[in-house]
Amino acid sequence: MRMLRAGRWITGVALLLLAGVYVRALMYTPIERMQGAAQKIFYVHVPAAIWAETAMILVGLASVFYLFLKDPRLDRFAAASAEVGTVFAGVVLTTGPIWGKPIWGTWWSWDARLTLTLFLFLLYVGYLLLRSAVSDPAERARFAAVLGICGMVLVPFIHFSVYMFRTLHPMPIVLKPSTPSLPPTMLATWLMSVGVFTLLYVGFVVQRYALSYLREQLELVGDGGSGKGEG
Amino acid sequence: MQAPVPQNAGYMIAAYVITGAILLGYALSLYLRARRSLRS
Repeated sequence: MRMLRAGRWITGVALLLLAGVYVRALMYTPIERMQGAAQKIFYVHVPAAIWAETAMILVGLASVFYLFLKDPRLDRFAAASAEVGTVFAGVVLTTGPIWGKPIWGTWWSWDARLTLTLFLFLLYVGYLLLRSAVSDPAERARFAAVLGICGMVLVPFIHFSVYMFRTLHPMPIVLKPSTPSLPPTMLATWLMSVGVFTLLYVGFVVQRYALSYLREQLELVGDGGSGKGEG
Repeated sequence: MQAPVPQNAGYMIAAYVITGAILLGYALSLYLRARRSLRS
C-alpha cells in the first residue's frame, strides 16, 4: 500500500512537470526554421522512444535474472516495465506519424526504423497477451521471460537501424558519439522532457508493481478469483 | 532569399494532446485498477 501511494505521488509530480515541459516547449523554445512548429514533437517523441526501448531492455534483464534466481519480484518488475513500455511505444507510434506527415509528406513508411518500432510495440502486446493467457504463475513467468529476452535483443537493432539501412528516419542528433547537434535552448528543453519521462516511467512502474503484488496477495487469500490475471 | 517557416502548428498541437491523453489515461487506469483491487 505504501508503494502504491509512493507510485501515485511520483506519477502526480511527473504529470505536473510534464505540463511544465509543455509550456517550455511550446512557448519558450524557438521554432526550427526548416521544419516549423512540427519539429517540437521531438520533445515528446524522442523521450518516449528512449523509454519504450529502455523499458524493454529492463524487461529482458529482469527476465534473464528471473530464469536464474526464480525470484517473483523480478517477474513482477518485468510485467510492470512491459506494460509501461507498451504505453510509451504507443506514444512513439502516434506522435511519429503526426510528425512525419508534414515533414516527409507521408504518415508511414515501411522502412527499417519505423517497422522495427512497430514490431517492438507488437512484441509488447504479445508479451502482455501471453501473460494473460497462462494461468500457472511459474509457467507464465518462465514463458514471459523468454519473450522478454527476445524483446531485449531487438532493441539494439532499432537504435542502429538508421546506420544499417537507408531509412526516411533521421540519424540521432543527441544520442550519438559526437556532441549533440542542437542549440542549447532546445537541448535544455529536451533534457527536461527526458527527465520527466524518466520520472513518469518510475511512477508508473512502481504503481503497476504494487498492483501486481496486491493482486497476488488477493489470490493467496482466495479472494482474487481463479488465479488467472494480467500478471 | 530565405524560405518561409512552414506553418504546421496543428500537427504539433495534435501530437501534444494525444501524448497527454495517453499518459493521463494510463495514470487513470492504474488508479482505477488499484482502487478496484483494494475494494475486493
